[in-house]
Amino acid sequence: MARPRTPAVVWIRRASQTGFFLLFLYLFLQTVYKPVNQTGKGVKLFFQLDPLTALSSGVSARSLASGLLLGGITLLVTVLMGRWFCGWVCPFGALHNAITAWRSGRVKEKIASGGYSRWQTSKYYLLALMLAGCLFGLNLFGLLDPFSFFYRSLATVVFPAFNDLVTAAFTWVYQADPGVGRLKAAAVTEPVYEVLRRNVLSASQQRFLGTLLIALLFAAVVLLNLYRARFWCRYVCPLGALLGVAGKNPALRLKRNDQACNDCGLCVADCQGGANPAGAGSWKPSECFYCWNCRAACPRQALSFGFGAGREAELVAVQGAKEKAR
Amino acid sequence: MKGQEKVQEKMDIRSSQSRRAFIGRGAGAALGLCAGSVLSRAQSAAPSLVIAHYKSSPQAPDGIAEEARRLTREAVAALGGMGRFVSRGDVVWIKPNIGWNRRPEQAATTNPDVVATLVELCYQAGAKKVIVSDNSCNPAPASFARSGIQQAAAKAGADSFIMDERKFRQVALKGKVLQRWEVYADVLGVNKLINVPIVKHHGLCKATLGMKNLMGAVGGERSRLHQDLGNTVADLAAFFRPALVVLDGIRVLTANGPVGGNLADVARRDTVAAGVDQVAVDAFGATLLGLKPQEIGYIVEAHNRRLGTLDFESLKPRRIEI
Amino acid sequence: MIAAILRWLKAFFRPPRQERLDLSRRALLLAAVSGAGAASVARIGATEGRHNFSPALIRPPGAVAEDEFLARCVRCGECMRVCPTNALQPARGEGGWTALWTPVLNMKTGYCEYECNLCSQVCPTHAIESLTLEQKQKVRIGTAFFDRNRCLPYASARTCIVCEEHCPTPKKAIWFEEVSVLRPDGQRITVKQPRVDLELCTGCGICENKCPIADERGVRVTSVGESRHPKNQILLSLGSDGLMGY
Repeated sequence: MARPRTPAVVWIRRASQTGFFLLFLYLFLQTVYKPVNQTGKGVKLFFQLDPLTALSSGVSARSLASGLLLGGITLLVTVLMGRWFCGWVCPFGALHNAITAWRSGRVKEKIASGGYSRWQTSKYYLLALMLAGCLFGLNLFGLLDPFSFFYRSLATVVFPAFNDLVTAAFTWVYQADPGVGRLKAAAVTEPVYEVLRRNVLSASQQRFLGTLLIALLFAAVVLLNLYRARFWCRYVCPLGALLGVAGKNPALRLKRNDQACNDCGLCVADCQGGANPAGAGSWKPSECFYCWNCRAACPRQALSFGFGAGREAELVAVQGAKEKAR
Repeated sequence: MKGQEKVQEKMDIRSSQSRRAFIGRGAGAALGLCAGSVLSRAQSAAPSLVIAHYKSSPQAPDGIAEEARRLTREAVAALGGMGRFVSRGDVVWIKPNIGWNRRPEQAATTNPDVVATLVELCYQAGAKKVIVSDNSCNPAPASFARSGIQQAAAKAGADSFIMDERKFRQVALKGKVLQRWEVYADVLGVNKLINVPIVKHHGLCKATLGMKNLMGAVGGERSRLHQDLGNTVADLAAFFRPALVVLDGIRVLTANGPVGGNLADVARRDTVAAGVDQVAVDAFGATLLGLKPQEIGYIVEAHNRRLGTLDFESLKPRRIEI
Repeated sequence: MIAAILRWLKAFFRPPRQERLDLSRRALLLAAVSGAGAASVARIGATEGRHNFSPALIRPPGAVAEDEFLARCVRCGECMRVCPTNALQPARGEGGWTALWTPVLNMKTGYCEYECNLCSQVCPTHAIESLTLEQKQKVRIGTAFFDRNRCLPYASARTCIVCEEHCPTPKKAIWFEEVSVLRPDGQRITVKQPRVDLELCTGCGICENKCPIADERGVRVTSVGESRHPKNQILLSLGSDGLMGY
């Protein structure tokens, strides 16, 4: 079965993920001293868009910083349209997506492991646990909120290490001073280093305590994507759980053409969220990231996304399946 | 050692530790020997110390900026012009006090217009490149910005950069107490060093002036230098021997120095002094705070080592009123 | 239209079987109770910062009182990233397990720059409240104390006062007394012995940070005197009248 041409919407989705990922990194780089006594603009944006930030500090502290109301927009969009945030916006999710896509594996294995697993409910229990704690004043959301986790790992481990390595490399060239005759490598590398120093690298190397644990956790979370697709997003993420609850009944729904479908399962192999796109009426909107991979993978064009009606048709299909089973 | 007939040149230490000349100049940096024409110019009746005083004391920022520019220009001109110190093609390091994250009116850092004027004068005298930098005590990006010096220097065409941690080199200072210390590599590679301090009170040594300002050209654990400030500062002065010292006495910090912060501690003296004898300049600077040069340990030590004279009046300084 | 909304609401709260979240009521209850239980355990602990003030728990200026702080802080790390002196570090033991990865100041890695309020600018939940520079400069985050067994003018008859040199308060919070001390060679010299003015010290830590005794500094900042905790005070004059300093 030839793989069908990737639909445009998948390319747009990838562009969106890349764009938000780069925006996250850009805002991260902008969170530095700028003359005089300020930072770049909008450095709190992702935390303000995150409804979990507002919810957790609002519930446990009974107070809400005004900027956090943007999280309400995220929730509203999710209630209407489902977990688009996870599929198109979340930069941590984009990272997991990239690692997941990178893993090799036979299609059969991917089909076997890509479908919905009851373990995906663990994130909802985690959410419930943390919310209950919040009610009594214990706010541990920051440990598992995706933006906190990602930003903290970047700030204390990844970026300082990057800064250190880049500086070390340029320093080696500067001190060893290799070259041929009067042509010195440093004459090229030093101006490049200056540009990096002014725009990307830290003014002075930052060092943090306790980074081993943060590094190990980050590495573990990233590597778990090799075991299960978007592991964090499916099993752990409390924001994903919150959005899953909010997005239980979205307006945009997956429709399946029962005649065209031959149960090959290819849609499941590439499914990011573990939403079970295959099977009559098996789709779980609370797990769907709207990545459109299922539609792209289906060689028979049996899947599509559309608004509203289709619910009745699915119900009929389910009833029909139940009756057949009896 | 009077030094009024000779241009004080910056010693360019070409030891193996300082092979890394400033990038862009490569091996082209001269050893800083003065050209013959400069010598003859100097041998006319040019003084070795000029004290310029502004008759009024403008309060508006524009007024102070104008004052700073005029004082600096006149002081250097009265000294024989920048050409006496800077030769064509020279790479010059202007070393102001950018140590602290303070505004110019708080008088913890050198007046930015004094610095900018010196940059212009250097380029007019034919300098190939002018660098303005300091090893700040507070975070450098903030200190460079808030003091106004980075912007003013860059506008005048200087290369005002924040020091790179990689570029400190162990150098043999061969001082009385400092055998070796970390010096910023780029300072070693320039032709001329112009020291531009501001006059401030200091809790330990009573006043911080030009020679103490040289601590910004070095790195390492500078806090240890305070255990013997008299000798360590004199060692630095002996090593660096700036070609020219321009003392910013427009606003001085009379108390709670060298960091200050309280505008009530800032006094206007509306004076800029310029000279080739760094001890004499410092001695004069002390008087702006109502101190006698003999009260300051490192001035006495430098005098005793014949790095200059603390009896600045004996140099017959030219006093000008503007 | 209304009917469509009602239908939608019905489907939201009573979805068809395959669209349900598949959560077991018992497991949910267990999760909730565990969360509440964990919170209770946290509350009754005599953990530092909540009831026993920990000397090492020095929070950024603008930080609210500890209970409130732990409820607001999402441990994002923005403040740690932006701190220009690298003073803000992720907490490990300083505030108990509930304070894991919240920001604390470490005066060896950095200090609180006087003319800076960047941390309060970037905090997304206002665990560190947004302060103007003038407000921040009045906030105390702790107090410095001299270790006379180490500080050079006390312990080894040497001059120093780098601490006083760097002290940023408009009137210096470090003053000194000139004392005649005995040197090992038998000579007497006069040294300036530094002392902290408890009413002026903001606990910024630049003194500790610049002290030349690199391993264990001759002057160290602890949290006492912090504006945000009226009970964590020394002086009567700065007593427990809820003085936050801003």
